Order: sequence, then structure tokens, then C-alpha cells
Amino acid sequence: MRNLVIFLRRYFNFFLFLLLEVICIVLVFRNNNFQRTAYLNSANSLSGKLYDHYNNVQYYFHLKATNDSLVSENARLHNMLRSSFDSMVTNDIVRTDTIRQNGSDSAQLAAGPATRRYLYREAKVINNSINRSVNYITIHRGRLQGIRPNMGVIGPSGVVGMVRSVSDNYAVVLSLLAKGSGSSSSNFGVSARLQKGKEIGTVYWDGADPAYAMMKDIPRTIRLQKGDTIVTSGFSALFPENLPIGYIDTFSLADKSSTSYTIRVKLATNFYNLQYVYVIDNLLKDEQKQLEDSTYRLIK
Amino acid sequence: MSILLRNIIRFVLLLLLQVFVLNKILVHQLVSLELYMLFILLLPFNIPRPALMLLGLLMGLSLDMFMNTMGIHAFACVFMAYLRPFIINILSPQGGFETNMKTPSMISMGISQFLIYISILVFLHHLALFTLEVFGFGNIGYLLLKILLSTVASLVLIVLYELLFFSRK
Repeated sequence: MRNLVIFLRRYFNFFLFLLLEVICIVLVFRNNNFQRTAYLNSANSLSGKLYDHYNNVQYYFHLKATNDSLVSENARLHNMLRSSFDSMVTNDIVRTDTIRQNGSDSAQLAAGPATRRYLYREAKVINNSINRSVNYITIHRGRLQGIRPNMGVIGPSGVVGMVRSVSDNYAVVLSLLAKGSGSSSSNFGVSARLQKGKEIGTVYWDGADPAYAMMKDIPRTIRLQKGDTIVTSGFSALFPENLPIGYIDTFSLADKSSTSYTIRVKLATNFYNLQYVYVIDNLLKDEQKQLEDSTYRLIK
Repeated sequence: MSILLRNIIRFVLLLLLQVFVLNKILVHQLVSLELYMLFILLLPFNIPRPALMLLGLLMGLSLDMFMNTMGIHAFACVFMAYLRPFIINILSPQGGFETNMKTPSMISMGISQFLIYISILVFLHHLALFTLEVFGFGNIGYLLLKILLSTVASLVLIVLYELLFFSRK
């Protein structure tokens, strides 16, 4: 016993070192859980408030760029309005281009009593990083304003990320610029499709350049062109379909025998100066989930 | 100014500098500017080792809180704090450094000794930090390049800091 005490005292520093490192490692890996509570991250009140003050100053210098992006977004939305299209059809079946462009949602709206499926809430970005291998965005809206984890987040021109954790007044968003550790399958990928051919793939970030991402799973039989638009597929509950993700920059086959393209995508969102984002609440997500779960239980 | 007060001020100053200035500067994907660990490097020579490691944990966790990288910086900081006394022992001349100089600096250690001291520890810190951040040796060239370039960037920053806050004592 005495020897043990002497031994422990002699190597006390080393054991303390090991203990502290084990604490750190546990924190790192517990942090990898997708669902976690918000404390000790930038959503807490101390760092949230500090970032808020900082952003009040820094925001002023980006007013012009922010204005420009909001105006161009307004113009894009105006162009999608039904009143911007000249419809010659006089019967009560509405057949305008917007309907075909925007799929079932606006068709439903035009058809009559519609159920709201997605609710958009605007939020101010107060902190944003782009130079780490996993990047986070802090926004000034939290639980009290209806933000919950696992909601999709978009910017004025395209997809931004998903809400990771929330506190009362702040939320931390996992940016699309998040390179998964290890194999590429563990990346945060967004289910995407080609706007033209409707082929489904996944867009993920490879950690190299904040302006570009990669897309995989597009078969080689498809004819691609530089500049083709890539949009969300609507398969995941995070995003409605047809939101722009990016545009094809370059595409290539890894080798002669590979069956799918490697596509480099110019991201639609400019992560360098992100000032406002929209958090998307899928109101029917719970219903869909409940139905699916109960069906699985029936099968079992 | 007492040593304690000076270190508390340095802690806050370096943390704010790191979070609100250096993290906002984008040089290149391979170069990330880190200066906060200078707090550990400039603690007095005679600080007890457990205190050194606990301060490392505190500094690392504070930064992690702002950057949403729970535990990564804390790990690297504790690692560096643990190895600091060994490096000082190796570098110190016979009989230790002058007793009236309590903290490591260019004057108390000599310029070359000080540079060796910070380069070794900053390199070890970056090694732990980026290995844990990238997690995996799949792209080892990228990792090594990032460690080396970031170490050089940090060294430049530290030297600039030292020249700015020159203490003539």
C-alpha cells in the first residue's frame, strides 16, 4: 500500500496528464454525437453575446454585399411568381411554367386549400468559419424562436447547412463545409439531383476550397455540361426540392472502368460573406416519421 | 504589475485576439493562424506542473467553446503544457536561467534559445491539434504540410507579439 502511494506520488504529473487528456478525448468523441445538448459551445450565452457584439460592428462593413445578395434573391423570387408568366389558358386548370418548375408544392397551392409544409424563419449570422475542416455557423435565433436541431438552413442563393444544437437565443449550424473524418461516406452530404436529368446524387465537401464541393453517384451514361444546375432532391426531410446547391464546374471519370462521374461543383452559396440565412421547419416531418415508424413496426 | 495580473490579462487578450481577429483571417486552407498557446509558453518558469496542465486545459476549453471544436484545442494545449518543463530542462544552462527573470522571453533565455523553445513546443502543439482535427492519416501529405506551414505562421506571430509587447525589465 505504501509503495503504491509512493508510486502514485512520484508519477502524479504523468497520471494527471493522462487524466486530462482522457477528459479531452471523451469530449471530442461525445461531441461527435449528432444529437447533443448545447452547452460549452458557441451557442451559450457568453460566447453568443460576444459574437453578437462583434457582428454588430463587422456587419456594417458588409452592408453593400448583403444588400446586393438580398436584392438578387428578391429578383429571383419575383421571376418565379405566377404573375410574371403570361398564361393564355382561360380554363381553371392552371398550366404555367412555374408549376412545372416548382413541382408539387405550388401546384398544391394553386389547386386549392393547401397545407403548409415548410416554414421559413430568417436568422442573422453572427459567426461563421470557413477555414477549418469542420465549419460551424452561429446564428441569432434559438429554441425560444422555434429553432430545433436537424432543421435545414439555406442562404439567399443556396443551401448552407443544418442546425446542430440550440440554446435559448442562439443556434449552431453545421455548415455544408464539413469534411467528415475518415472515409468519405461519413461526410455531411446533401441529397442532390441534376436539375436537367433528375439523376440523384450526393454533394459533399472535400475540405479543399470553400467555394467548391464534390458530387458523386451520377452514372456515366448521363451527358453533363459545364454550368448545369444541381438542386436539392427533396428526399431528405431537411430541404424542400429544387433549392439550388451549385453549378457543375468540372467533371471527370476516375478511370475508364468507373461507372460514375466525379463532379466538382461551384457552390451557389458564397460562404465568405454570409449575413442572413433562413431556417427551414418541415412541419410534416413528425407525421411522416410516425407513419414510417408504425409501418416498420407492423412489418416486424 | 504583478505576475498574476499580467497573466490574467494575457489570457483574456490572447483569447479575444484568437477568436475575433486571427480566426477571421483566411490566408490559405493549409495555414491556420494560432497564437493563443503563447499564454502557456509565457507562464513563469517556476509554476507547478499540475497548475500548468490545468491552465492548459482551461485555455483550450475556452477556445473550444468559441470554435465549437469541443476538446480538440484542449487536448493539444494540455499536451504542450505537459511537455513544456522537459523542453525547458533541456534548454536551460547549468544552474538554470537567471533567477531574477521569472518568465520565458527573448531576454531571459536569449534569442536563439527562446526561438528553439517556442518552435519545438508550437510544432508539438500543432502536431496534436491537426492530427486530432483531421483524424486519420489518410492524407498524410496534406496533414504534414498543414502542420509545418501553420507552425511557421505561428512562429512569425509569436515573434511579432514579443516585439510589440517588449518588456524592458
